[in-house]
Amino acid sequence: MSNSQDQGYWYLASYPKSGNTWCRVFITELMRLASAEPNDGLNLNRDIETGAIASSRLWLDDQLGINSCDLSFAELDALRGRAGDSAWLFAEGERFHKVHDGFRSPDSRGQPVVSTQGCRGVVYILRHPEDVAVSLSHFFSWSLQHCVDFLLDPKAALVPGEFRGGHQVRQHMGRWDQHVTSWVDQQQLPVLPIRYEDMLANGLETFSLLAEFLNLPSDPQLVEQAIENTTIDRLKKLEDEVDGFAEKPTGCDRFFRSGRTGEGAERLTIEQRKKLSEGLSDAMARFSYEGVSID
Amino acid sequence: MTQVNRHFAFGMEIRSDLVLPELSIRQEEGSIDACVEIKRSDHTQWPELEASPHGTPTVDLAPHEWRLKLEGIGWFRASQGKTVEWERWDDSVSDRDIRTFLVTSALGALAMQRGSLVLHGTAIARDGKAVVLLGRPATGKSTLAWCFHQQGWRVLSSELVVIGADGCVLPGLQQLKLWHDAAVALQLDWAQLPVVRRGLKRYALLPPELAVHQEPAQLQCIYLLNRDQAAPGSDDSSQQPLSCSGPLSQQRALLLVRNHAFHARNYRGMETESQLFLQASALVRSHPVHFLRVPDGVSPMADALADVDLLNPAALQEGVTA
Repeated sequence: MSNSQDQGYWYLASYPKSGNTWCRVFITELMRLASAEPNDGLNLNRDIETGAIASSRLWLDDQLGINSCDLSFAELDALRGRAGDSAWLFAEGERFHKVHDGFRSPDSRGQPVVSTQGCRGVVYILRHPEDVAVSLSHFFSWSLQHCVDFLLDPKAALVPGEFRGGHQVRQHMGRWDQHVTSWVDQQQLPVLPIRYEDMLANGLETFSLLAEFLNLPSDPQLVEQAIENTTIDRLKKLEDEVDGFAEKPTGCDRFFRSGRTGEGAERLTIEQRKKLSEGLSDAMARFSYEGVSID
Repeated sequence: MTQVNRHFAFGMEIRSDLVLPELSIRQEEGSIDACVEIKRSDHTQWPELEASPHGTPTVDLAPHEWRLKLEGIGWFRASQGKTVEWERWDDSVSDRDIRTFLVTSALGALAMQRGSLVLHGTAIARDGKAVVLLGRPATGKSTLAWCFHQQGWRVLSSELVVIGADGCVLPGLQQLKLWHDAAVALQLDWAQLPVVRRGLKRYALLPPELAVHQEPAQLQCIYLLNRDQAAPGSDDSSQQPLSCSGPLSQQRALLLVRNHAFHARNYRGMETESQLFLQASALVRSHPVHFLRVPDGVSPMADALADVDLLNPAALQEGVTA
């Protein structure tokens, strides 16, 4: 059995476009810097192998021992909670699995849609929903109104079509606030919620917490260097160096775009912001996200 | 008395209590080296297993033993390279549900137990010569195979491909599964096609609509489908013809072929990984492996096939770097 399996695995969970990839790049860079002989530098398309996304069809096929295309999404959701306990067969890499699913789905029969057995914990990354809306719009080439509606849709899912295959299976997310609370309030895994805004404004403190939680090297100088090497400007440059990040969808100009906060307040209409504030008020207040006044 | 249906696949005569339309009923000459049995049984009577640490919560593995438990569908067992057993989860599970996993996961495990090299891919043949298309799930292997089928190629096996020590690809699972979007784009009368399983928007193409090759065919080369090759920073891939890389180095080819073993976890869990390594090494020493760049989208894929000769990779080598 591999060391990585002995050590268990972790989830990096988030609603899409909330900073998950930034976390993965930071972890990769931190480990690179902490290694005895750091290699030349970070290559986005070669080095970001922190672990398969939990919705990867390849990963699920390996874990379930079948062709997952032969199951419906509803059947898969009921089975997915059993996948993930075993290490990826030929992987020598680390096991920090990205997840965009909510912790449970309507088809997972009350059970987590991801495996909890052997999992040591989850880092849940969240970002102001107004900024998520703008980032979703750029990423998926959706209108801002569609993104606002998506954040408020209790049936929202990624890869929802049943008419074609894909490298990933359906990921049910639900409304943004349902997604947040599904992970933050679950009782089966230790959870560290971190806000994207704190990763930007209080980088050393926030990323040190993350490193400690994941049992990674957390020497302040090392963390600081890893932050410096993974700033949005640096990531944009790295994306240019590899002529396009492999995780960028067709039609999206670039994966790493602005990275800043407050774009939602600038780009959304008052009505769109009100709609988000009305629909997501409890979770927004809980995580100190200001919206517009509802009354 | 249970009816016994005779089928032939992967060099085996298969005697099954279920009719398996995905497998040939015609015996290929001179290539049958075993007779195996598929039968219903009571999984609670299966002997206790000292399971391998390489198993998963749904797959139990041990030398010469493979078991699959699919909640809501059934239990499956392949053992000693001789027998596949199955049991429905409950009466709502149809024969088609059982067959779906019987002829893929279970037969693949059985073939491994018999010492075969089993890859995850699709094999097609023309003029008695075969090429194997490997690729990750949903990279378009079946769609591409159907497009070549329309150009006169015949299907040898899909999903799992067994290659003998003599370099011959054996006839196996003779159906192609196409998603609804692909079926529409390929202008198939999807409403008339059987679905892979009830509720899925995925269709099974079977003989006689599917022309199949029923004899072992000598392998010419292996292609690894790569739909992302042209993506970063390149021109619109839909305008690109099908093209391939030069032959990969043996070391790289070995790694890639090993990683495309059919449910490679089974090899490790059944303690036959050295067998896989030796067979894959021999295969890449004697057969070239190329990346095959495939245009994204079903229609561009179909359009790109004109005048393509898969048996001659040298003629396809343009602009794809290995």
